[in-house]
Amino acid sequence: MPPSAGTVRVLGADPAGLSARDRRRLWARVGTVHQSLELVGRLRVVHNVNAGRLADWSGARAAWSLVRPQGLPEALAALDRVGLADRAFERTERLSGGQRQRVAIARLLVQQPDLVLADEPASALDPVLADRALTLLGELAPARGGALVAALHDPGLVRRHCDRVVGLAEGRVVLDRPVATLSDADLAEFYGVTT
Amino acid sequence: MTLTADHPTRPTAPPLRRDRRRWAWGLGAAVVVAWSLAGAGLFSGDVLNPGGSAQFGRFAAAALDPAADAAFLGLLARSALVTVAYAAAGTALALLLGAVGAPLVARTTWGRRRAGWLAARGVLAVPRGLHEAVWGLLLVNVLGLDPWVGVLAIGIPYGAGSAKVFADLVDEVPRGAYRALRAAGAGRTAAALYGLLPPAAGGLLSYALYRLECAVRSAVVLGMVGAGGLGYQLALSFASLRWEQVWSAVYALSLLCLVADVAGRALRRRVAAPPASARRDPVLTAAVVGTVVLVGWSCWYLALSPASLVSERTVTQLRHLLGAAWPPATDGDLLRSLGVLAVDTVQMSVVAIAVALLGTVLLAGPAARPAGRSSPGRRVAGALVRGGLLLLRAVPPPVWALVLLFVLLPGVLPGALALGVHTLGVLGRLAAEATEELDPRPRAALTALGARPAGAWLYGVLPRAAGPVLVHALCRWEVAVRDTVLVGLLGAGGLGALLASELATFDWAAGTTVLAAVVVLTWAVDVVSDRARAALR
Repeated sequence: MPPSAGTVRVLGADPAGLSARDRRRLWARVGTVHQSLELVGRLRVVHNVNAGRLADWSGARAAWSLVRPQGLPEALAALDRVGLADRAFERTERLSGGQRQRVAIARLLVQQPDLVLADEPASALDPVLADRALTLLGELAPARGGALVAALHDPGLVRRHCDRVVGLAEGRVVLDRPVATLSDADLAEFYGVTT
Repeated sequence: MTLTADHPTRPTAPPLRRDRRRWAWGLGAAVVVAWSLAGAGLFSGDVLNPGGSAQFGRFAAAALDPAADAAFLGLLARSALVTVAYAAAGTALALLLGAVGAPLVARTTWGRRRAGWLAARGVLAVPRGLHEAVWGLLLVNVLGLDPWVGVLAIGIPYGAGSAKVFADLVDEVPRGAYRALRAAGAGRTAAALYGLLPPAAGGLLSYALYRLECAVRSAVVLGMVGAGGLGYQLALSFASLRWEQVWSAVYALSLLCLVADVAGRALRRRVAAPPASARRDPVLTAAVVGTVVLVGWSCWYLALSPASLVSERTVTQLRHLLGAAWPPATDGDLLRSLGVLAVDTVQMSVVAIAVALLGTVLLAGPAARPAGRSSPGRRVAGALVRGGLLLLRAVPPPVWALVLLFVLLPGVLPGALALGVHTLGVLGRLAAEATEELDPRPRAALTALGARPAGAWLYGVLPRAAGPVLVHALCRWEVAVRDTVLVGLLGAGGLGALLASELATFDWAAGTTVLAAVVVLTWAVDVVSDRARAALR
């Protein structure tokens, strides 16, 4: 989608000016976790994790991997970090919502992006799992010098896991400060604006 | 469960468990396809007919130069009306028979009396197992050249199919409301009317519209065996080698099928997702009223008269026929050739489905309309593929067989390929629709993380579309076995050719044996395909 005004720069490059191949390379450096996860339920867990490497794989290798999973050690290591190594060959649709959330995170782990965009990554999780998921996401991008951008509704999660908070109301930035200096009064004012 | 960054031990891979049942089915399918290809003579001997290429060239060249003189176009228009009339009247009869028959074969009616239910289902297998054209040939011998032949030939097999599907639809409705009504003292019929019928109504209407689409194609085939209409004109033009007229008829058929497809699909979508605001969807009401009017007009146009069904001549003919057909012939020669031809028939249908499935895998992607915006080139390519698939399914399999006989030597292969390309037309469209109805987000997510188009399709589309497409293919296999008999009737070998020769010599006892073999074969394929579908779930 071209911007209606101005330019968009992603990791220092303008996607509109890139060839299809370079644009794919660029997308591969950006990892996303969606609210609805967007995993393929019919596939085994390991294939959904390996989908994170489709940018590097040729079509033939991607096809063969569906028969004999390729890059198994990396995929299993990623699944182990989210505690699902024993479910690697299960059909993804048989997993619970929280487990599928962790499969989506494992996919990001093998993708190794420089920037992670997360749209309500904790929405399907209970408070303990939400904390763990955000810890993992938080480690992911900064390990390679990048950043995690997450849309969150729970101010508690923001306080525990983020460095900087940006509040949006009706498409405009109404709050932007380091989390360390965020006060209850700021939050009360922010939520007063939105509701 | 741990979510820590560094884990002390190396992760151990759990064993990769394959679904044994599915692997067995997959391996079995591969063996059967190889056996069928060998049986079709693909690995042994000549299959190409080098002498026919000049004729084929003239035939292909006529595609761009169809007959367009006013007299012939007028003839085609009148023929199309006859075809539509047969389709509408036949479907109406089928739905009537289905509505009457459904309670007789529904689980709800039989309750725990399973043997009775199985017997009722078994009785249905007989009319369903015979192709409309076979019914047409049988009925012509009873009724003579009467319009009832075409209507009954569609109505009887479709009626049996409708009874089965209607019963399944009603059986699938959750029982809660029905039980509550029964508990409150309502009779069985009243409880079924209030508790079972309303939830099933959408499915019933959808299926009725779908049958009407199919009936148009069946009416064309009936025309080819002599009932008049577009199929009859097509066969005449083909027999007299008037290729430009053949192509005009093919384009007319495609147009008719396109109208039936598009209208039927639009209406079925409306049934599935009714607009929220209107209390009664005016388009649907108009369609139902229009269909009823169409049926009335069809009966008038075809000059259907109930008197000819019960005339003295009909009764005498029927009595004579039944007397000659029973007991069936059981001499050794006949049974031996039946066995050989049954194998041919199965091989033909298997090659047909394999060809159709291969074509579907290649074409379903381009045929599906992309979810988002797409380039003009992609849209043109998509429209071309969809048009090609329409042409493939609009032309009846026997015509494809005749076309293929230009370039192939007679045998199992031309019949199998003819059925294959026709089935590809049907299956390709079903697969494209299945792909369009998938949630686009998983594929979009894969593209967003940099996957190539091939990779995104392999991981985001194929795993989810494969199951439904295979189920459709297995369903089409049953249809293909019936169609094999049809192709055979018109000369391509298999059980159909034997049936045609027995009927031509009025050897009714042998005809009964062949018909019984066809029914048993269809039933056996039905059972195997049903098991395979269960393994896919």
